[in-house]
Amino acid sequence: MPKYESAWARSIPMKEQWHIVGRLMRYTKPYKRQFGGAIVAAALLASVNVALPWLLQEFMDRYLTHQTATTQIVIGFAALYAFGTILKALFQFFQAFLFAMGSERGLEDVRRDLFAQLHKLGMRYFDQTPAGSIVSRVTNDTATLSDFWNVLLSVLVGLFSVVSSFVTMYVVNAKIALMVLAFLPLLLFAIWYYSHYSSKVYRHMREKLSELNTKLNESIEGIGIIQQFRQENRIAQEFEATNQEYLRTRTAMIRVNSLLLSPIINLLYSFALVAVLAAFGIMSMHAFVAAGVVYAFTTYVSNFFNPMTNMMDSLSNFQDGVVAGSRIFRILDNQEFAPTSNPGASATLTHGKIEFRHVSFAYDGKHEILHDISFVANPGETVALVGHTGSGKSSIINVMMRFYEFGQGEILIDDVDIREYPMAELRAKLGLVLQDSFMFYGTVASNIRLFNEDISDDQIKKAAEFVQADRFIDQLPGQYDAKVIEGGAQFSSGERQLISFARTVVTDPKILVLDEATANIDTETEAVIQEGLKRIRQGRTTIAIAHRLSTIKDANLILVLDAGHIVERGTHDELLAQHGRYYDMYRLQTGMSD
Amino acid sequence: MGIFKKLGWYFRQEFKRYAIGVLCLLLVASVNLIPPKVIGALVDTMAKRNLTMDRLLLFLVALLFAGIGQYLFRYGWRNAIWGGAAKLEKTLRTRLFWHFMKMDATFYQKHRTGDLMAHATNDLNAIQNVAGAGILTLFDSVITGGTTIIAMIFFVDWRLTVLAILPMPLLAVMARQLGMRLHHAFGKAQAAFSRLNDKTQESVSGIKVIKTFGQGQEDTADFNQLVDKTVAINKRVNFFDGLFDPTTSLIMGMVYVITIIYGSHLVMTSQITIGQLVSFIAYVAALVWPMFAIGRLFNVLERGNASYDRIDKLLAETSSIQIAPQAIQTPAHGDIRFKINQFSYPDADTAALVNVHFTLPAGKTLGIVGRVGAGKSTIFKLLLREFDRYDGEIEFGDINIRDYSLDALLDAIGYVPQDNFLFSTTVADNIRFASYDKDAQAVEAAASESAVHDDILKFTAGYQTMVGERGVSLSGGQKQRLAIARAVITSPELLILDDALSAVDAKTEAAILHNLHNQRADKTTIIAAHRLSSVMHADEILVLEDGHVLERGTHTQLLAHDGWYAKMWAKQELEAKLGGDGNA
Repeated sequence: MPKYESAWARSIPMKEQWHIVGRLMRYTKPYKRQFGGAIVAAALLASVNVALPWLLQEFMDRYLTHQTATTQIVIGFAALYAFGTILKALFQFFQAFLFAMGSERGLEDVRRDLFAQLHKLGMRYFDQTPAGSIVSRVTNDTATLSDFWNVLLSVLVGLFSVVSSFVTMYVVNAKIALMVLAFLPLLLFAIWYYSHYSSKVYRHMREKLSELNTKLNESIEGIGIIQQFRQENRIAQEFEATNQEYLRTRTAMIRVNSLLLSPIINLLYSFALVAVLAAFGIMSMHAFVAAGVVYAFTTYVSNFFNPMTNMMDSLSNFQDGVVAGSRIFRILDNQEFAPTSNPGASATLTHGKIEFRHVSFAYDGKHEILHDISFVANPGETVALVGHTGSGKSSIINVMMRFYEFGQGEILIDDVDIREYPMAELRAKLGLVLQDSFMFYGTVASNIRLFNEDISDDQIKKAAEFVQADRFIDQLPGQYDAKVIEGGAQFSSGERQLISFARTVVTDPKILVLDEATANIDTETEAVIQEGLKRIRQGRTTIAIAHRLSTIKDANLILVLDAGHIVERGTHDELLAQHGRYYDMYRLQTGMSD
Repeated sequence: MGIFKKLGWYFRQEFKRYAIGVLCLLLVASVNLIPPKVIGALVDTMAKRNLTMDRLLLFLVALLFAGIGQYLFRYGWRNAIWGGAAKLEKTLRTRLFWHFMKMDATFYQKHRTGDLMAHATNDLNAIQNVAGAGILTLFDSVITGGTTIIAMIFFVDWRLTVLAILPMPLLAVMARQLGMRLHHAFGKAQAAFSRLNDKTQESVSGIKVIKTFGQGQEDTADFNQLVDKTVAINKRVNFFDGLFDPTTSLIMGMVYVITIIYGSHLVMTSQITIGQLVSFIAYVAALVWPMFAIGRLFNVLERGNASYDRIDKLLAETSSIQIAPQAIQTPAHGDIRFKINQFSYPDADTAALVNVHFTLPAGKTLGIVGRVGAGKSTIFKLLLREFDRYDGEIEFGDINIRDYSLDALLDAIGYVPQDNFLFSTTVADNIRFASYDKDAQAVEAAASESAVHDDILKFTAGYQTMVGERGVSLSGGQKQRLAIARAVITSPELLILDDALSAVDAKTEAAILHNLHNQRADKTTIIAAHRLSSVMHADEILVLEDGHVLERGTHTQLLAHDGWYAKMWAKQELEAKLGGDGNA
């Protein structure tokens, strides 16, 4: 069903990978103390891990082999070992906890940045990107970052471990230590081969997983339609096919891991152990070999190889992180910003005169939706936009609200370029009533107030009364504190619209913009709203789109749009007298009511 | 451990797979005993300085054999057990999906999308971990732990073994205590993640409103507050999670200390050799992983258990729509008799419908008008069996609609809701949604009937154009008309238009009503609308107010009745007349 391009569908070039890694690492900077502390703890832990077997070796070779251990010496070594263990536990805790907290804070910063960036992006981005995928970037992709940073830790732990055990082995017996080192190229080859081979399988698996979750999300959102049309079986079967496909790729991944991951490291370890013991064995035929040395060496060899498994295991996390990072940065780097004001913009909107001068506009920069639009709305006047669906009515509002940047021409408010107004000023003085009245999770009051804490409960009540939304709000359990569930599903679209009216009214805008606002309201409610609107329109400039021409007859100027052009303009009477398109439309509507 | 019981059905179903996995684990554990024994023996032989080339070779071959055996058996159990976990996740996901398909409106009012998604991703992951890491650590700790201890007793010394493993029960205590705290913190962390999900989902969906009111910064501040809370909650998780390894180390440290003290006593008194002590220490090292594993095991099980309960709770919710055992399978057709004495939405104080009775003979059209919230949509919800608990009866063709199977009932109904949800697929697939095997011709016919064919031809890829999520790239009117096409393609016995023409202009509305009239001459239709012109030709019109029938009759009768309808009509008429005279 859905066909979103998955980031897992392509392999990311090496250079880009490192670039992403570098940028992700920058998020760890503010938490230097946590990450640094964790790394220091990891280094100390590696030292303790070498020191403990060494302690035992010394004890065995110096005292046990020669049968010279007194009770005091035994207790002394035991105490030392206990002390070492306590240190080990402390380092383990700080390594894990500090690193986890550093990651947690770092990834939450990425979340904050993403969310802030979303609010900077223009509407075009949201038109083109499915909501589900945006949400997944902000929550799921960022969540993988914590594992990604953990790769760094496991690489460092591996490195510390390899270096510390090698150094100790070298001190104990240089020749045999070098022999163990000879296994390093083999080890590196195994790591390289695994990462090369597994990355393809892994990418495929992740691609399937994202497809699976996209389908799941859409099926939940569209459940009403699925059920009404009895398509549960078909949709579930489609889902099952994807589910099966995912299982197949995942099983392939498990097989690769079983063949090439920790078992192979273990095999290499066994070979190294055989080599070391062979060397010691042959050595013992000519010279004395202390028991403790053999014991310590076997432990070091194991320390040398063991962390590799962890490191290779985390390679997939590395890939996850890079892919998540690439998607996160694609949002953060997105330049499709919402239009902004000119630098230093500081104009204040006082009268509310609107003028369009030869404005043209294309959503994609190529196909023009508006051509050469010019009109003037003087303070307090109403300009109505009329035309068939797709004629460009909404686009005029979209560019005026600065949701999209227009192309040629000028938009002036109070004879000043609209770009000279700070965005906050425009948002405060321009009130838009949208066709889709979106409801937020919260209460009725919070839906009218939105986040503006300056608005008092009293103002909310007054606004609701003003648009006569109080009639149904008073009947709700809890009235203004009545809970609003996801999407406001418990309200009819008319009720939602009334709330959204109150939302606009309460901000007391200078200019009113109505985008097909009356389309979903029944006649009686609409009459109520028309009355309310008439009152708010007093002293306010209004730009209105309406389907029923009867509602805009008193407009000072009516613009008839067709395919992005203004084809007729004038007052209701003037337009009727023209006997043109408006006249036809009007005849049709009145004819229908006969 | 309760979680293993809860997953018992799965382990029984996958018995063979898990038997192979456990057998391989057993073999790995057995082979694992060889190296420490060999090393100990080698040390002793070297100490006595009587190591010969033959013996050395024997030792080395034994080690080599152990290494290769480990590789093979490890491959075996990994495939079996991890594969089992993946299969379990898939099985549960399928089950969950089917459950979602079956649940009713109440369920979806209670659970938000983000929440359901979290169940289907995070919780399933935690459960599959039980069938993978959980099973592994359980058997690994029992088998490896057990065989290692046995080897310690037989190859070294039973007194040393008993003393050395004395602190180990502490591991269980620690795992239990920490596990409980972690479980609690983890549940909160999951909930916090869900909240972040919901918040983001909502902000993205409502982005235009937020932009309109210039509330971007405030919304971001709200989000950041949620993030702060999430950090605080995760701090607890990380704290308890971070305690597992150190505590295990401390307990293992005690084991080593006991070994040093008592082991050296045994060596000094020549009861064991130094080689045996080396073996013993190697065995203790082999015990570290199983003991860590017990700590992890509880961790995995706690998480899995919490998630299983959450999923189980979700799966236990039943749809209030119950299909009668002998449900009628033949598609519904005939007269519709709607007799509702009273209906209230779950958890609502006031009744949504009171004494709404009507009979709609097959082939006729019913109009429903009334103010916002008067109960128009509620009637449809009951007809579509979104809610089943009401006082009254609804019959379709002389049979109670509750006696039909849902297929028989809903296949007969084409519903066009107020909010049009379109799927992210092609225009054609959206239209033939209800009848996927329909060919292009039928799709185009339906599109023509709903007056959207010409619009579609203007799209870049025509009928193959992809519809964006929620159809963002389409206008409201186009969405409505696609939704109508989707409903009429099956020529349903009953077509319901729930304010489905609100976003189309008058000319298009007229065309659609005209088409429907011609194409559906013998079929039943219900139209709810605000524009009275949409329903004026209906055979009966109901005027609803606050869930009651205020007026009823044909257009002419209602005008004669001179009530709400007549008043509204006069108003709309007057507007039209005034307009017609050109007097604004």
